[in-house]
Amino acid sequence: MSAPAPASRHASPAELLALCERAVARARAHGAAQADACAEGSRAFTVRVHGGTIETLKQSGSLGVGVRAMVGDAVGFASGTDLSPGGLDDLARRAVALARFATPDEANAVPGPAEAGEPPPADLELHDPAALELTAERKIAMALELERLARAADPRVTRSDGASVSSAGGAFALVNSRGVARAWQGTSVSAWVVVLADDRDGRQQTGVEGMSVRRLADLAPLEDMARRAAKRAVSRIGARPVPSARVPVVMHPDIAGAWVSEMAEAWSGEAVLKQSSWLTGKLGETIASPRVTLVDDGTLPRRVGSSPCDGEGVRARRNVLVERGRLAMFLYDHYHARRARRASTGSGLRGWSGTPAIGTHNLYLEPGDESPEAILRRVDCGFYYDDQGSFGLNPVTGDYSFQAQGHWIEKGELVHPVDGVTVAGNSLDMLRAIEAVGNDLTWKSSFAAPTLLIGEMTVSGR
Amino acid sequence: MDAPLPALSDLLRRELVAELLALARAGGATFADVYGEHAVVTGFALDESRLKTASYSVLQGVGVRAVRGEQTAYAYADGFAPDALREAARVAARIAREAPPAAAGAGPPPAFRVVEAPAPFTLQDPATLALDEAAKVAILRRADAAARAHDPRVREVSASFATSARAYLVANTDGDWAEDRTHLSRLVVSALALEGNQRQESFATAGGCVERGFYSVERTPETVATEAASGAALLLGAREPEAGSYPVVVCNGWGGVMVHECFGHSMEGDTIRKRTSIRASQLGAQVAARGVTIVDSALVPWSRGSFRVDDEGTPAQRTVLVEDGILVGYLWDRLNAVLTGHRPTGNGRRASYRDYPLCRMTNTWIEPGPHAPEALLADVKRGLYCKKLGGGSVNPADGNFSFQVTEAWQIEDGRLTHPVRNATLTGNGNDAMLRIDGVGSDLAIDGATGSCGKDGQWKPVGVGQPTVRFTGITVGGTAL
Repeated sequence: MSAPAPASRHASPAELLALCERAVARARAHGAAQADACAEGSRAFTVRVHGGTIETLKQSGSLGVGVRAMVGDAVGFASGTDLSPGGLDDLARRAVALARFATPDEANAVPGPAEAGEPPPADLELHDPAALELTAERKIAMALELERLARAADPRVTRSDGASVSSAGGAFALVNSRGVARAWQGTSVSAWVVVLADDRDGRQQTGVEGMSVRRLADLAPLEDMARRAAKRAVSRIGARPVPSARVPVVMHPDIAGAWVSEMAEAWSGEAVLKQSSWLTGKLGETIASPRVTLVDDGTLPRRVGSSPCDGEGVRARRNVLVERGRLAMFLYDHYHARRARRASTGSGLRGWSGTPAIGTHNLYLEPGDESPEAILRRVDCGFYYDDQGSFGLNPVTGDYSFQAQGHWIEKGELVHPVDGVTVAGNSLDMLRAIEAVGNDLTWKSSFAAPTLLIGEMTVSGR
Repeated sequence: MDAPLPALSDLLRRELVAELLALARAGGATFADVYGEHAVVTGFALDESRLKTASYSVLQGVGVRAVRGEQTAYAYADGFAPDALREAARVAARIAREAPPAAAGAGPPPAFRVVEAPAPFTLQDPATLALDEAAKVAILRRADAAARAHDPRVREVSASFATSARAYLVANTDGDWAEDRTHLSRLVVSALALEGNQRQESFATAGGCVERGFYSVERTPETVATEAASGAALLLGAREPEAGSYPVVVCNGWGGVMVHECFGHSMEGDTIRKRTSIRASQLGAQVAARGVTIVDSALVPWSRGSFRVDDEGTPAQRTVLVEDGILVGYLWDRLNAVLTGHRPTGNGRRASYRDYPLCRMTNTWIEPGPHAPEALLADVKRGLYCKKLGGGSVNPADGNFSFQVTEAWQIEDGRLTHPVRNATLTGNGNDAMLRIDGVGSDLAIDGATGSCGKDGQWKPVGVGQPTVRFTGITVGGTAL
């Protein structure tokens, strides 16, 4: 079986800038006092294999534009993929017409050149020619190899639930009516594998492992991913609930990273303005253990969430949200920054089909100096928490309650696998109760945290 | 008011579709299909009593799929330009380029047959097209005012009204030709209540495939807003849940998200064919308590999960999955049905023309039983009544599930004593349906709320059940 040729090139930054210029000009012509346009073009190719053969091959390609028009301080928005002169004109006309139904608000504006700032001079290394040159044949071979290695890693791995490898390239452009024009391009490569191990009573246990990176060279060796997936599945064999108890909890970096990403909304300047964040009114206060420094940095070279600017053209920066336990700042896009009489923090994230919304670039908890093994040895009796269900953090209260899997800890050792339990607490209490921060920060996506020891949480079981 | 949707057969002529199918099959694929779509999506959002979002988007394009055995290749193009569609078809064809040409079936189908399927319901004046911008804004303003007026502790209100009007066309190398339209609209109101240093939020929804009059008769903005506002105010005085494993009674309607997650996903044909689901070997076995009957059907009037033909052109149907506790049938999309010798059940669904179809649920529910809902509470000594559920998820391979319960009540000696917040239910889907020990008579299907995610594709679904009681569900909480 042969495979498709490499995906055609995505649209160039220059082409996208030209599209945005035309869209902004049309919006102005239809009566917008201010306007911006955002365009994205991307190409992706995804391979999924299962049981040693190809399951699906998918080529994706998109090119779309979104136009935001401000008329009398009110905003309208339209987006689409018809980029002909008539199509762009229709989007601009609709955006202007829709603004008539919105509420005038003097905080509505697009940033000027001084507010946007110059893009960082250093190359963020987001665009990897090697990722674009990764052929479909090579991706198929990688996915098959990843699945084969994961199945072979342990005889107790009886089946695979598939492996996938994908690569993508894309460009982004933003132009506004105050003279800000920005464009950049980036690539991504990702690989995932899921294996199954038989357990008693016809049950089975799963092991998932994978990552998404900007550059091919940053992808972990397939052997490592395969081994971790297999280890995860077989280590769960014989898992059982434990009695309910309040105990110390050691969070695996995957779990700690997921918690950090779920908490991010509490730092949204919009949520704080509306008092819907559990951090409302706590700026400057100590909200976490002094071991905690939480950073959102859009300027880290090679990272998935990095970009020279946000979706409004404002320069990306390093934002320290919590500094040694002290709540140092909140995140703003241009609109909410104006409402709060502050400057945008470069956090107005946006795709072509939507308006800017406050979000994070690369959000991470800074590593400490203790090894995960040393952290485990500190625990006399507790829960090592390394997998979870979805949904479980209340963004308004910070209440945390997740279905959990992992291992029971006695005298610093993992003694048996655990499932059928939940782990609950409140994020503010948990931040304050962080007793150890590991040295094992690993990036698998746009958020990350090292191993954490939380002094006490409630494990609910039998 | 938006322009009516275009007729897709005008944008995609039969000759072009036949050519695309022939191109897609040129590499030796045994089956190919073409899926064209034109969707108009609008969104209006009122927040802090300001109309902040007024948006309009068009999504249109064509996806081409080529299938050979268990293998699928997929490519798509935005818009309907014939050359871009031919390119997509050629990319899809390459999946099987080096295989020997199929002996029969190469080339286009000899002729298309229009798929005959009765409409499960018809809309005279769908809210998607009939409500103009001013009408949508008026709905949001009424919701905002009603939520604020309901309780002085309601500090902020967000209300959004979203519509999606979608026309789609499917044609395949078997000669099937099907077209359908769906008209979804939804009002969501969320209210934030503050008191002292307590803050709580609650939301309520209304909608489905409904007429414009739905929002002035069946579910008014005031009704929805009051539900959200009273929910948030109630939670201010709620207690933390008791951690442990004990009886749980789940409300009717949206409570059916439990059967969707705990059971439905493990019945989808892809996981059955690949034997990654524990249900693959359980046909004819008892998988739920006696008296429990579970159904999936896309024929439910006015629901988000309903349609006339699925996204592969198969007519919608009612499929019984469990009859009186016994597993009697699975859900099948076309690919997995053909590979296992079953008939497709109309469960091939895709998020848009940018995605290949997956085997998905439509509207899934537990049929009513004999008990009055109050009777199910009456003999619980100590337990939890779940009145509002939030999100839920399951890992179909190992069966572990969890649900957020956004509003619950403590049951003591058969009575609801006080509200409980922030509970999480967890357990294993393998035995959750066996733990049912009482099914109420009050079936309700929620066709307004659900969106189901699978492999990165989100699709509207309906869920339902009568009041159902489970024994021994693990409840996550901080109180011991």
